[in-house]
Amino acid sequence: MISEDVYRVVTIVRKELIQLVRDPKTIAMVLMMPIMVTILFGIGYGGEGSGKYPITIVDLDGREGSFKFIEELRDSRLFEIKAIYKSKGQGFSSVYSGSVYACLIIPESFTEDLMVGRATRVELYYDASNPTVAQAIMQAVGVVTQQYQEWAASNFGTFAIQPMFYTVYGPKVEKIESFIPTLMALILQMVPTSLISVSICREREKGTFEQFIMTPIRPFDVIFGKLVAYFIATISDSILSLLTAILIFDVKLRGSLIDMTVVSIVFLLSSLSMGLLISVFSKNQLQAYQASIFTFIPSMLFSGMLIPVEILGPEAEAIASFIPMYYFIKAFRNVALKGWSFLMVTDELIIILAFSVAFLSFSLRSLKMEVT
Amino acid sequence: MISRLAIEAENLTKKFGAFTAVDHINLRVRVGENFGLLGPNGAGKTTTIRMITGVIKPTEGSVRVFGIDVVKERDKAIRKIGYMPQRFSLYEDLTVEENLMLYGSLQGLRGQYLRERVNELMDRFYLREIRGRMAGRLSGGMKQRLSLAVALVHDPDLLILDEPTAGVDPPLRRRFWEHFKELNKEGKTILVTTHYMDEAENCDRLALMGGGRIIAEGTPRDIKRRAVGGELIELRVDGDIELKGINGLKEVLKNSDGSYLLLVEDSSSLLPEVLRRAELAGVRVRSASPVFVSLEEAFIRLMG
Repeated sequence: MISEDVYRVVTIVRKELIQLVRDPKTIAMVLMMPIMVTILFGIGYGGEGSGKYPITIVDLDGREGSFKFIEELRDSRLFEIKAIYKSKGQGFSSVYSGSVYACLIIPESFTEDLMVGRATRVELYYDASNPTVAQAIMQAVGVVTQQYQEWAASNFGTFAIQPMFYTVYGPKVEKIESFIPTLMALILQMVPTSLISVSICREREKGTFEQFIMTPIRPFDVIFGKLVAYFIATISDSILSLLTAILIFDVKLRGSLIDMTVVSIVFLLSSLSMGLLISVFSKNQLQAYQASIFTFIPSMLFSGMLIPVEILGPEAEAIASFIPMYYFIKAFRNVALKGWSFLMVTDELIIILAFSVAFLSFSLRSLKMEVT
Repeated sequence: MISRLAIEAENLTKKFGAFTAVDHINLRVRVGENFGLLGPNGAGKTTTIRMITGVIKPTEGSVRVFGIDVVKERDKAIRKIGYMPQRFSLYEDLTVEENLMLYGSLQGLRGQYLRERVNELMDRFYLREIRGRMAGRLSGGMKQRLSLAVALVHDPDLLILDEPTAGVDPPLRRRFWEHFKELNKEGKTILVTTHYMDEAENCDRLALMGGGRIIAEGTPRDIKRRAVGGELIELRVDGDIELKGINGLKEVLKNSDGSYLLLVEDSSSLLPEVLRRAELAGVRVRSASPVFVSLEEAFIRLMG
């Protein structure tokens, strides 16, 4: 005979399982979510193009030595060489524009030095706003340089290449600052989306919706009323976090508060819009929370929050293009860490706004003023 | 065109999948009357109410409120309706006053007028003392009072109340029905559901629902008559009396204690006739009075 305590626990286990299994949407979430996340993960993180850092090369030498070096870089399969330029200016602007993480400059006298056995150097100008990536690139360049050096030594005698590292954006960005975009993305999606996602379905669950629809209220009023209210509540949230980081942790950001706020506001609107859409379609609060989490995981994996998306490969980039957070992190990084004005990231801002418009329109069309 | 009917439901039906909750009912509620919709749980009363308020859509049939089609022109219709649902449907995390102000605003009242109206309602329903209390912390009776106040905030012509006195103690129940009487005097129409049969006596007309259909309709008196097959008179006399042949007398039952129970068509017209017979027979009548049949009794008989 099992003891009374065990019996009681078993009774509760049984009841909980019955309740969990009874709601089909919950089952769908519990089963589907891990599967979908794993599939996405496999597609994005297991792709062919994984691990390659996009860089450009400025070849001032243009002879066999530099060609060989470039070939070594390619063969290392660590880099995706987007372009080979003939002028430093082009190289720098490619890093400034954010299209590549670094630009490697092979000096004019490279091959000559090589043949003579003289020491020479290569210069890497990198984007320091992402220290993890920068470090990886520097390491990779170091490895290739080392290998080339050994090959050159065995063929031409002693030969030394000194890799020189320069940041494009001035002094090194500290690790903590480079995480600010990630932090802001978290704050501007996790809390607002899950908060607003229960707002409409809670009214349905508690029964207040029934009385509510006896007034002349329209879907527009409900949707925009909630949007504005939650916006006011959560924008203060994010400004507070930024200020805390700046004041307490002495984080130094290059961007102006205005630019950062503009970008944050645009993203916040999209998070709230998405939450509203979840709220319109959820039958109860439990479903709403689950749905918010469900949308959050792909955001985390494919927004560039953890690993830059370009490095993951084209499949990941394709998935990322459907995720508002991807555009936010890109834009915010440029604004906060490189000091760009928000006018320079209007491409991303417009896409994020488009997401908001899509979510809101869909919500408006789907919200019916009746009880089901 | 202003209809003399406050509510007109025709062939009103609601199906949930294979289950028919409301089965092609026809309902007519006249302006200014107090109409009761009775029936056991699951009879379809709340579903019917919800179709009249437009909160759910009918599967078949139509319903008009003061001539306005509720499905086609719901916005227009609900302006005339004050609804008190069965389940407490106000915001538990707002105070009594905040709930009233909210619904007043949503209904279009503003500024001074809104303020006055809310004060007026708080006084009328004794909510002033608890105006600052969270609606979630109110007792059952207080919640019902607040719900009624909210239903009335925009001064609607038609009040639809679903079990307004559920869980309310007797003194307050009586007060509620006194309120309803006052509202009727003001010209408002009331449709109320209840399963307190004693309350239903106060209604002008009733409809009994069962299994999604209307089983009986009419004044309380009509319904009792229908249930019993007539009206009952209890007669106590000294001696014997011959009652056969009285027009409208359906049955006579002699009780063990010597009294008679008469089933008649209409007690008000037959009572004098019975007394005349007694006089003719020289029998002294100790008492002759109509027997009160409760609606509950009538209902049980009709439900079978």
